[in-house]
Amino acid sequence: MRPDGGKDVSQTSHGIGGLSYDAKKRPWPAEFNVFLALVILVAAFELVGRVFLGDSFLFNTRENVSGLFNEQRLQIIILQVSIVGIIAIGVTQVIICGGIDLSSGSIVGATAMIAMSFAQVATVNGNPNPKAMFIDYGWTDLPVIVPLLVAIGCGLIAGLVNGLLIAYTRIPPFIATLGMMVTARGIAKWWSKGQPISFPTDSFAAIGKGLMPVVIFISLAILFQLILTYTKYGKHCYAIGSNEDAARMSGIKIANHKVLVYAIAGILAAIAAVVLSSKNLTAQAGMGVMYELDAIAMAVIGGVSLSGGRGSIIGTVIGSLIFGVIISGFTFLRLDAYYQEMVKGVIIVGAVVLDQWRQRRRAIGA
Amino acid sequence: MKKLLLGVALSALMCSSAFAAKIGVSMALFDDNFLTVLRNGMIAQAKGMSGVELQVEDAQNDVAKQLDQIKNFAASGVDAIIVNPVDTSATQAMSDAAAAAKIPLVYVNREPVNVNSLPDNQAFVASNEADSGTLETKEVCRLFKEAGKKEANVYVIMGELSNQAAVQRTKDIDEVIATPDCSFIKIIDKQTSNWKRDEAQNLMTNWLSSGKPFDGVIANNDESAIGAIQAMKAANIDMKSVVVGGVDATQDALVAMQAGDLDATVFQDAAGQGAGALDAALKLAKGEKVDKKVYIPFQLVTPANIDKFLKKN
Repeated sequence: MRPDGGKDVSQTSHGIGGLSYDAKKRPWPAEFNVFLALVILVAAFELVGRVFLGDSFLFNTRENVSGLFNEQRLQIIILQVSIVGIIAIGVTQVIICGGIDLSSGSIVGATAMIAMSFAQVATVNGNPNPKAMFIDYGWTDLPVIVPLLVAIGCGLIAGLVNGLLIAYTRIPPFIATLGMMVTARGIAKWWSKGQPISFPTDSFAAIGKGLMPVVIFISLAILFQLILTYTKYGKHCYAIGSNEDAARMSGIKIANHKVLVYAIAGILAAIAAVVLSSKNLTAQAGMGVMYELDAIAMAVIGGVSLSGGRGSIIGTVIGSLIFGVIISGFTFLRLDAYYQEMVKGVIIVGAVVLDQWRQRRRAIGA
Repeated sequence: MKKLLLGVALSALMCSSAFAAKIGVSMALFDDNFLTVLRNGMIAQAKGMSGVELQVEDAQNDVAKQLDQIKNFAASGVDAIIVNPVDTSATQAMSDAAAAAKIPLVYVNREPVNVNSLPDNQAFVASNEADSGTLETKEVCRLFKEAGKKEANVYVIMGELSNQAAVQRTKDIDEVIATPDCSFIKIIDKQTSNWKRDEAQNLMTNWLSSGKPFDGVIANNDESAIGAIQAMKAANIDMKSVVVGGVDATQDALVAMQAGDLDATVFQDAAGQGAGALDAALKLAKGEKVDKKVYIPFQLVTPANIDKFLKKN
């Protein structure tokens, strides 16, 4: 953009019917709106809490604890969305690339089951581990790298199958990943015939201990924000999502790129599975149910456009925080779980409606 | 020749004593720990009998799918059907379908809404849900008294709100607390964890962040109790100062009890229910009479009698 605020030659006109682009009508980045919504939400809980409960949502009101903020609450707000957040990072890049991934929740279930069976201890409280799957083979107390590699392998295979199906059979991503969603859940149930797999080694349990899920989530978010903004991989994602034909014309290898995008989403779901099963010290076939939809919702609330080509990891992270604030806020107000779900639904739809409205208004002037 | 005849006669005799039957089983869902133990209990029981053949199907928590499975069983001419209903309020159609085909039907584990109007060749096998929450809460109450508490504040973690067991167990808690004996217990808040460990863990941490002093956690199931325990341990709370109760007596829960974290749980004999359901189905198939409601009793599990339960469920 020229320093005098005038129009760049390459940007004079685009969009519907040759309407001109006016830089002045593009007030702030999309993430700012989402952030504003987050702040308003927190302020609302703070206000309602002060008025009706005489307690603070955000600030410390306990005498036996020091600190300005209620740190425990700040931690749980982000801790409880970290695992779905990791999935949402993968889902965000898939959606930016013009696709969708419905399989991530089931990949979490299947990966957790398979990886956990390689992370079990031989004895619990002096007795043989009642849940050990491979105790007859002596595959217990394995080094933590084994379950980790198994998990990454599972996620990679599932993601590759998704990507290859979408890129080479040309079936819609919705269908391909729906197939994987059902298949992977089947694998999760079949692996131990529905039995939970519990009692992992200490080194495996350390992965999801305390605030580790948050650390992993934020590290991955920063990594992928950088990748999407500054690398060829990221730029191709936006290009394919905005206009696949144009991207093809300009020489981007669409098929290869899509395979890569879904493979990475699969690996991220696998990482989420490791963190989740480690945090809970168990793997169960029903783990991760509905996570895919929560992840998509986080991305959408964060301003990622389901039609592709638009959005960012930062937006998704803020979207996930909105989820976290809602859960903690409603527990703080001691409101029933029913309302939580209702409000969550309204916020998802509301976010998209607002975004559409803003889209039409901004940047397109007469 | 004589030997051969004798052999034929003997085998004919044996056949008449072993009753051959084909039983169709529709489970609400396969990926549930408890229902898996129940299912395996049924399968193990069938394996021990000659001539009993089970066909077990997964309704995947889908009411319509389950009804289709029942109709398919009826069409393929099974001798009896065992149903673990997805939705306990949708059982009338299932009873009707089985009655129309004149095939005996046994509901297992979840109480059907039409339990009091079941036709003659249908029955219900389960544990009496009203006992589980009652046993659990009474034990928590006893432990509070033992610790000399004059007042006790508890959090209640509920299961999936659309599930009858969650509703009943929560009602049990309220009823026990309403008795003069245990009225010193006050509920600070009750929320749902959807039976899940990770949701219970998050819920408990949210509660802890409010900093309210509390004395115990009463959960509708063990997974939720374990989630709460993990959250409390992460917050460095001394588990000896908190009473935690669950229901189900799962392996994970028993290990938590051995570690001194979980104080009470209730054993629901899943395998016993599965075997009991098969028993009832076989009797009905033979035309024998069976009680409309067959109850397999719940049993309280505490550190004192835990050894009895370590090998079960």
